[in-house]
Amino acid sequence: MEKWRSHVRGELFNRDCLQKDPFSGVLVSLSRLEEKLDLRDKLFDSLQPCVERHDGCAVNDDLSIKRQLALRESEHDRIKLRDRVSDLTAALYLKEAELQYCHSQVVRFRNEALVLCREMASLKTSMDDYQYSLEMQSKELMSHKQELAALRNGLSTVQQEKEELLSRWMKEKRLEAKRVNRANQKQERRHHFCPEAQPLHPDDGEQDLKCEPSVMKS
Amino acid sequence: MADDKDVLRDVWFGRIPTCFTLYQDEVTEREAEPFYLLLPRVSYLTLVTDKVKKHFLRIMKQEDVEEMWFEYEGLPLKWHYPIGVLFDLHASNTALPWSVTVHFKTFPERDLLHCPTNSVIEAHFMSGIKEADALKHKGQVINDMQKKDHKQLWMGLQNDKFDQFWAMNRKLMEYPTEEGGFRYIPFRIYQAMSDRPFIQRLFRPVSADGVAHTLGDLLKEMCPSAIPQDDEPKRYQVVIHGIEPMLETPIQWLSEHLSHPDNFLHISIIPAPSD
Repeated sequence: MEKWRSHVRGELFNRDCLQKDPFSGVLVSLSRLEEKLDLRDKLFDSLQPCVERHDGCAVNDDLSIKRQLALRESEHDRIKLRDRVSDLTAALYLKEAELQYCHSQVVRFRNEALVLCREMASLKTSMDDYQYSLEMQSKELMSHKQELAALRNGLSTVQQEKEELLSRWMKEKRLEAKRVNRANQKQERRHHFCPEAQPLHPDDGEQDLKCEPSVMKS
Repeated sequence: MADDKDVLRDVWFGRIPTCFTLYQDEVTEREAEPFYLLLPRVSYLTLVTDKVKKHFLRIMKQEDVEEMWFEYEGLPLKWHYPIGVLFDLHASNTALPWSVTVHFKTFPERDLLHCPTNSVIEAHFMSGIKEADALKHKGQVINDMQKKDHKQLWMGLQNDKFDQFWAMNRKLMEYPTEEGGFRYIPFRIYQAMSDRPFIQRLFRPVSADGVAHTLGDLLKEMCPSAIPQDDEPKRYQVVIHGIEPMLETPIQWLSEHLSHPDNFLHISIIPAPSD
């Protein structure tokens, strides 16, 4: 039970122990005694004229008063019992009505439970479906991950190869440029010493220069 | 609900031992004896004091008698507040029996409502129930009831019949399961140290994100000074039906179990005793 709930119950119990219980017995008895006194007062008032007429109390009168009092008290008790019976009958009807209400509540909650059960079953089915698709997707993800890792490996190999090729190509270009530069220098020297001289044999590099101006620039 | 039926019983059968004494200035034929009575916390003063009236009228002259009213330590007691609220608000930390003074003259017109017959109490009680149901169910439950059902609620209170009253009142305490509570909680907060009669505003039992509100949440919003701070001693007591519920108590449960027969949750805030 929740702490706050048991706290309320305990506090109500303590409250009654302090406020109601110490006084309840005394005040209920007092109330009963007052009722009795009231009854006797009424009896006394009704008998007063009779007593005054007979001028004194004989033993028979005393007995008669006692009987009258007992009669009134039993009459009072009878009324009380009648009220109690009527109260109990009413309470019985109320309890029957309450029982019917409880039955209707049971039916209502049973229906609610059925609806909830159906909902739960459909939710369970969808959960199974989702779990299956989740499993499939996770498998797919795993295979995609593996594929990706293989591709990455391939990519890194290719990149390495590319870099090697590039460096080889650069090296060759460097050698070629040196060769062309040497040929150009030779050509210049020849022009300087004999301007009418024929151009060099194509093998000496002139042909190459025409074909590859970019190399010249570099 | 069924598990807590004993809470409903304890609330219904809460009693306050009371000693009624006649005001010293009232003219009597002989000395007035005090009258002792166990007052039901959930009822109204003028509804349960027929015997008191009868007791004192026996020793008074007819011409000296006007409308009866009650006073505690100079404070006129409002009959239209439940007896338990009057006691918790004005006398909860005093010795028992509760000493109430009875007057038959100089009715305090400015402080009290007249109550010539029980039908006035019935009208007040029924208007309270209707107001509470308007807050809880837009008045649909009470409007769907028949005249005899209204009468059953009233007769249950008048004759102190728990089963008779609750056979009908339980309908006023129902709510759709999926909503988690009433539309609004019918409550009234009385403060002993304030001249204001009471605080009553709209308050939902469940927050917008579905969390159940507690008594602490209600007080935080309506009367923050009543909540003790961490570093200071408790200044006020929050009392319902003579007890101090924990601030963590869900307000919906309190409304269902600790409401008065008028379906309002009456909360008294009183200064904490200094000892």
